Amino acid sequence: MKRAAGFVQRHPAIWPILGCVLFFLLIGGLTGSLDPTVVFTAARLATFAALLGLAQMIVVTSGDGAIDLSQVYVLTLCAYASTTLMDASPVLGFLAAVLIGGFAGLVNGVINVYLRIPAMVATLATGYLYFSLILVGSSHMKVLPQPDFVALVTGSVGPVSTQTILVLVVAVALAVVLYRTSYGKQLHAVGQNRTAAFLAGIPTGRVVITAFVTGGLLSGLAGVIAAAVMGGAFQDMGMAYFLPSIAATFVGGTAASGGRSSVLGVSFGALMMTLMSSFLNTAENMFDLVSGIKQLIMGAFLVLILFVSVAGTKKHRRSRAGAPATLKASIGD
Amino acid sequence: MGSSAAQVTTGGATLAGATEPLLMLRDIDKSFGITRALSRASFDIFPGEVVGLVGPNGAGKSTLIKLVTGVLEPTAGTIRVQGREVQQISHREVAQIGISCAYQDLSLCTNLAIYENFALLNMNHAPWAPVGWRKAKMSEADALLERFFPGNQIDVAKPVSALTLAERQMVEICKALMNENLGLLILDEPTSALSANRADQLHRAVREISQTGVAVVYISHKLDEIQKICHRIVLLKNGTNAGEFDPRQISSDDLVSVMGGEVRVRDRSGTQTAAGPALVSASKLNGSGLKDVSVEINSGEIVGVSGLVGSGQTTLLKTIFAARNGRRSSLRVNGRVAYVSGDRAGEGVFPLWSILDNILVSSMRTVNRFGLLSQARSRDVAQHWFDRLRFRAEGVDSPITSLSGGNQQKALIARGLASGADILLLNDPTAGVDIETKQEIYTLLAEAKAAGKAVVLHSTEDVEMEICDRVYVMREGHVTEELAGDDVTVQNVVRASFAEVERSDHVEKERSSRLAGLFQSRLLLPIAAMLIIYVLNAIVNPNILSLGSTRLLLNTAVPLVFAALGQMFIVTAGDIDMGNGYSIGLANVVVAVLLSQNVWVGVVSLLLLIGAYAAMGALIHLRRLPAIVVTLGAQFIWLGVALILAPVPGGASPKWLSRFYSSGVLYVPMPAVLCVVAAVVTWFIVFRWKYGMVLRGIGNNPDAIERSGWSYIVGKMVNYALAGLMVVLAGLFFTAVTYAADVNTSATFCMMSIATVIVGGCEMAGGVVEPIGVVAAGIAMSLITSLLIFVQVDSNLQLAVTGLIIILVLAARVVTRRRAVVA
Repeated sequence: MKRAAGFVQRHPAIWPILGCVLFFLLIGGLTGSLDPTVVFTAARLATFAALLGLAQMIVVTSGDGAIDLSQVYVLTLCAYASTTLMDASPVLGFLAAVLIGGFAGLVNGVINVYLRIPAMVATLATGYLYFSLILVGSSHMKVLPQPDFVALVTGSVGPVSTQTILVLVVAVALAVVLYRTSYGKQLHAVGQNRTAAFLAGIPTGRVVITAFVTGGLLSGLAGVIAAAVMGGAFQDMGMAYFLPSIAATFVGGTAASGGRSSVLGVSFGALMMTLMSSFLNTAENMFDLVSGIKQLIMGAFLVLILFVSVAGTKKHRRSRAGAPATLKASIGD
Repeated sequence: MGSSAAQVTTGGATLAGATEPLLMLRDIDKSFGITRALSRASFDIFPGEVVGLVGPNGAGKSTLIKLVTGVLEPTAGTIRVQGREVQQISHREVAQIGISCAYQDLSLCTNLAIYENFALLNMNHAPWAPVGWRKAKMSEADALLERFFPGNQIDVAKPVSALTLAERQMVEICKALMNENLGLLILDEPTSALSANRADQLHRAVREISQTGVAVVYISHKLDEIQKICHRIVLLKNGTNAGEFDPRQISSDDLVSVMGGEVRVRDRSGTQTAAGPALVSASKLNGSGLKDVSVEINSGEIVGVSGLVGSGQTTLLKTIFAARNGRRSSLRVNGRVAYVSGDRAGEGVFPLWSILDNILVSSMRTVNRFGLLSQARSRDVAQHWFDRLRFRAEGVDSPITSLSGGNQQKALIARGLASGADILLLNDPTAGVDIETKQEIYTLLAEAKAAGKAVVLHSTEDVEMEICDRVYVMREGHVTEELAGDDVTVQNVVRASFAEVERSDHVEKERSSRLAGLFQSRLLLPIAAMLIIYVLNAIVNPNILSLGSTRLLLNTAVPLVFAALGQMFIVTAGDIDMGNGYSIGLANVVVAVLLSQNVWVGVVSLLLLIGAYAAMGALIHLRRLPAIVVTLGAQFIWLGVALILAPVPGGASPKWLSRFYSSGVLYVPMPAVLCVVAAVVTWFIVFRWKYGMVLRGIGNNPDAIERSGWSYIVGKMVNYALAGLMVVLAGLFFTAVTYAADVNTSATFCMMSIATVIVGGCEMAGGVVEPIGVVAAGIAMSLITSLLIFVQVDSNLQLAVTGLIIILVLAARVVTRRRAVVA
C-alpha cells in the first residue's frame, strides 16, 4: 500500500492516464461501443490544451507562484499574426508569428523579474495589453489561414493527426530539455527555492525569463495552428482553452508551488480534459440536459480529480526539518 | 549566585528522590516507516530540575521532544504523566502540566506584531475581547520581554519580520515562558542566535524559574552552556540512551568524546601554509548595512568573520558572492565563488531532490556532454563526494530531506567544493550540527585551504574562529578588528565583538525610519492613485465635482470594491480566488431572480453560497489542493448553477435594493457611504478584531497558529466565508447597478479584483493585507475607466491602459518600497 502510494507520488502522470481510461470507458458506455477513433479525435482536439498546458507547466515550475495569465491572448495575437504574415511568406510568416509569442513571453518575464511584479499580476496586465492589440489591430489584419498550411495541419498519418504528432514532438523535446539538460535542472532548482538557487550560482533571472519565453513560444505555436485548424483567427479564440489548459497543468502533476513538473502528466491531462468534454457533449446530446448542468458536472469533476490526484503531495514550507522530513522519506521508499 | 545554583542542584536531587517525576518516558520506540528514530529510549523529568539533553544530530532529540510536546505518538513504550499512565501526551496533558517549547525553527507569525504573537497564546478563544485588550496585551508583552531580557529595546507593536534573528529568538523564548501554568519548559537550541550577555540573561531566567519548581529541558550543542546551567545531562545516541552525567563531574571534553566526536576544534599549528594571492579585496566598501569595510582574502587561507549576530557578517558574505560577476571599484573578486549557507531549509537544500542533484546543481558544467547531462558522470561525481564526506544515508539517490541537518550541511559543502570554486564562503555552516559532523566540516575546510582555495567562514560560535588563520570582527557594519595568528582566540574575538558598543546613531535611525515609514506605507500608493485619478477626472470634466456625478462615478465602483475585498480575504489566507467572476455572477442571478421574488428563498440561497465558500476553504485545506485550480473548477459550478437558475439574462433588481442604493446619508450618496463602511468594517475585522490575528496568521505561519492552540481549518473557513460574504455583497450591489441578472457580465471581476488587491497593497503570499488600500484601489480602478471614457480613448484601448497603469503603479511600489534584496 505504502509502496503504491510512493509510486503514485513519484509518477503523478498515473492520475490523468487513469482519468483518460475512465472517460474512454464512459463514452463507450454511452455510445455502446469502444471506438478507438474517439481517442484519436480527442488527441487532435487536445492539441491546444496540451500546448498551452505544457507552456503553463514551464512557467509554473519556475516557482514563486509564477503563472501566465496572458497565454490565451498571446495565442490569439499569434493567430492573427500568422494569418497576416503567412499570407506573405508561409515559412517566414510561421516563424515570425511563433516568435511574436516568444517576444510576448519575454515581456512578461522581464516585467516579472526586473520590475519585481508578481507574475500573476504582470501577466494579467500584459494580457490586457495583448488583448487591446488584438482589438485594435484585428480590423486591419487578414483572418483567413494559408491554405497549404491548413492542409498540412489538418492532415493525418493513418489515424493520427498531424497536430498530435506535432504535440508529441514538442513534448519529447521538452522532456529532454527539462530532465536531461542543465537548463532543466536549473529551472527545477529555481522553482523549489529561488534564494537557494541564486546562492548555488544559478542565474535565476535568466532562468525565469527563459521559462516565460518558452511558454510564449509554445502559446504562439498553439495560436498559429489554431488559426489554421479553425479556419481563421477571431478575437475570442483563446478563451475556450484557458480552463482546460490550466487544469491539464495541475492535474498532470505540476506543483503549484514550483519545482516539480511532468511532461507526460500534463500531456495526458490535456487529453483527459478533452475526453471529459466529449463525454459531457455526448451526454448532453443524448439526454437533452438543461443548460448549466454540463458546466456544473465539469467543475465538480475537475475538483474531484484534483481531490484524488493532487492530495497527499506534501506541501513543503521553508522552515521544515526533523520528523516530518523523515516521514516524507519513509513514504518515498 | 553560584552557591545558590549548587543548592538548587541538591534541592533538585532531593526533590527527585522524594516526589514522583513530572514526566516519565520508559522504553519508548518511535518509527517512521522503516526509519527508527527512537528505540527503547527513556527519559524522566522531575519538577524543578534543569535537564540538559545532548547528542549528535539525528540522535532522536527532536523526536523525543515531539513526543513530550504531544506532536507525535510513540510506537511503543510507556508514558506516565505525574504517575498516571497515558497512551500519548495529548493536548490535555500539555495544558494540564503546562508544557511549553521554544522551537528551533521559530514558531512565530512574522506578519503579526510581537504582542499579537503572545496574545494568540494566552487569550481565550471567545470571539470577542473587552475593549482595550490590545493596549493591555502590549504592556503585558513589554513587561515580559523586559523581565527576562532587560534592556532589550524591542518594540512590541512591530511585526516580527522587522526583528533581527537574535531579537526573534528572545521573543520566541518569552513566548514559551509566558505560559501561566508553566510546569515544563523545553528550550531547543535557544542561544543559537544570541550574544553572550543575552545568553547569560537567559540562563539567569532558567535558574530563576527552575527554583520555582518548573522543570526545564535544555537542548544545545554548546556544551559549556549545558554544563553551566544543568543539574543533570542526558545523552542520547542513535535513538537510545547513552548515559547520564552529573555536570560537575564531567568535563566538556569528556562529554564530547563520549558523544563520539574528537576533542575540540582542530589544532591550527602545523598546517600553516603560505597564503597565496588575494582573491577578494574590498576597500572602503559601503552599502546595505556595511560601513567602510576593507578586507582582503587570499588563496590558501581560512579567514573568519565574526562579531555579534547581525553585525553585517552575512551581508558581507552575500555582497562578495553577488560581486562575482560584476566589477565594483571597491570590491574585486578574482575567481569563482561558492556560497554555503547554514540556513539549510531557507537558502540551501532543494527539498524535492535527491542528494545527487543537490550536490551537482552548481557543477552541471562538468557533467555536460553535447548539451545533455551525462547520467553516468553525474553519478560518478556525486558518488565521489558521497564517499569522501561519509554521508549517513543509503545512497546518492536518497532524498535530501531524509538526511539529518548535519548531513544536509555536508551535501551543501560538497556542492560548493564540487563546483570547483576558488573562493568558498560559508555562512554559519555548523548551526545546529552535531560535534562529529562539525569535525568533518573543519577537516574539509582545512583540505580546501591546502588545495589553495580561499575560505571565508562566518560562524555564530566564537570557538570556531580558532580554526581560522585570520579573523575580521565586525560591529554594526564596521570591521572593528583584524586578528591574526596567535591572537585568534575566543577571548580576543569576544572582546573585539563588544568594542564600542553604545553608539549614537540610534536617534538618527529612528528619524529616518519615520520618513521612510511614510513612503513605505502600503496605503500611500492606492490612496495617491485614487486621488490623482479623481483629480484628473475633475480636470477633464469639472462637472464630476457635483454630488450627482460623484454618485454616478462611485456607483460602478462599489461592486468592484466588494469583489476585491472578497479576493483580499482569500489572499489573506495565502490563496487566490480565480472563480469570483462567476460566483459574483451567481450572486447577481440569485438576487435578481430569487431574492426579488421571495426574500427568504433568496436569503437562504445567498447563505448557501457563503457556506459553499467556507466548504471550499475546508476542502483546500484538508486535501492541500492548490487554491488556484480549485477555485477555477468551482467557477464552473457557479456558472452551471447560475445558468440553471437563469438560462437567459433577466430578472430584476429588488425594489428595496434600488431604493436603498439610490438613497444617501446627509447628502452623502449611498455608494460613498458603502465604500467607507466597507473599508472601516473590513479594517476592523482584519486588524482590530481578536480573531483577525488568526485570519492573518494562517496566511503566514499556520503551524504557529496551530501550536498556539487555534484551529487552522476554522481560520481558513472563516477567511473563505468572509470572502463569500463579500462576493454576495458584490453581487447584490452589482444587481443594483445593472438592474438585471446576467452571469456573464461579471466575469471581468476576477482579474480586476486581483489587480485591485495588489494595487491596494496586499502581498499575494498571504498574511499581509490592507483593507483600506484595497477599497481605495477599487475606487481608483473604476475611476480609470470613467477617465478614459471622458478623454474619449478608443474603447478598445481601455484595457491596455488599465494594464499599463497596473504595471506602472506596481513598478512605482518597487521604487518606493525597495527592500534590501540581495537575490
